[in-house]
Amino acid sequence: MRLKDQNALVTGGSRGIGRAIVQAFAQEGARVAVVYRGSREAAEALVAEINTKGGKAVAFQADVADAASVQACVQRVEQELGPLHILVNNAGVIEDDLFVRMKPDAWNKVLQTNLGGVFNLCHAVAFGMMQRRAGRIINISSVAAEHVNMGQTNYSASKGAINSFTRALAVELAKRGVTVNAIAPGFIETDMSAAVRNKAGDRIAKFIPMRRIGTPEDIARVAVFLASADSAYITGQVLTVDGGLTLGAIAE
Amino acid sequence: MPTQDEIFSKVSATLVEALNVDEEDIKPTSTLQGDLGAESIDFLDIVFRLEREFGIKIPRGELFPESIFQGDPELVQNGRVTPKGLEELRAKMPFADLTKFEQNPEVGNLSNLFTVDLITRYIQGKLEKGNTN
Repeated sequence: MRLKDQNALVTGGSRGIGRAIVQAFAQEGARVAVVYRGSREAAEALVAEINTKGGKAVAFQADVADAASVQACVQRVEQELGPLHILVNNAGVIEDDLFVRMKPDAWNKVLQTNLGGVFNLCHAVAFGMMQRRAGRIINISSVAAEHVNMGQTNYSASKGAINSFTRALAVELAKRGVTVNAIAPGFIETDMSAAVRNKAGDRIAKFIPMRRIGTPEDIARVAVFLASADSAYITGQVLTVDGGLTLGAIAE
Repeated sequence: MPTQDEIFSKVSATLVEALNVDEEDIKPTSTLQGDLGAESIDFLDIVFRLEREFGIKIPRGELFPESIFQGDPELVQNGRVTPKGLEELRAKMPFADLTKFEQNPEVGNLSNLFTVDLITRYIQGKLEKGNTN
């Protein structure tokens, strides 16, 4: 077990990629705080499933876009589980629209949740990790930070900023034994990508050199690596996990 | 009131934790940056730990004043702290012994002011003030 006795917090932990990360962490022996905003039932079902299997997980409600809510949440988590060793900023939303039609609300919501959420969580845990000289921060970015799609100015901007933030924070915390990395997933089978997958059908897989859409577990395994001692000397990196999608091959 | 020795040994213990150094390496004359390897993020940690250890509040810029380091042309010229800059330094750091620095006020020598002894004297002044209030 690679994460034995480590305390981890995963935002957006009840569904999709976050859920797979929670399961993988628990399997590796970590105690996991599953942070959800609205999906209480899904979070509690996941926690119950893990605890029956002999793992340890607890569900906590918080809105990552709200600094006060995050502060209170992290405090409760640390009271219950102890000091946090691992933070996964996975919570994210999309509000796609063509830019000229995009409402300021759609811009603000995406930036405040995707990027503001990363700030709020990191702010709540970084000083403690720094003082204990141990910590792993993993931000879930997206290939959309570099390889943009129509209608995603807000989403792409938030993910691009996460990549820069990851590098900048990594430099500040490196001396104190805290690593900060990001994962940039490609097409992954989740609720978030369902609309695009449904629209494009099988065609998507043809654009991916590995000829398959990724699973949440594909991402979770990389998250375990970045959370474990195996990645001790890696910091400030954005790891693309996309089956080759962004390699740019244009012909067979 | 704790004695100066008691304050020094608590300050040493704090620096051991914040800088991951051995206690025997900490002498009153040790400089935080040069001798003990402190960096900006460590100063933040030191302030936080001192506040907790001594139950005091250390306002930003009081123990480690930043303005003089920002390259304000009135305070620093040609890499040297101006007479006005020295005045500013005296006003901001009444707990510092500037005699040696004044002989050669190069900006690069500023970090030598921040010694373990300086912290001890700062804390002592802080605790004395607290008692008379």
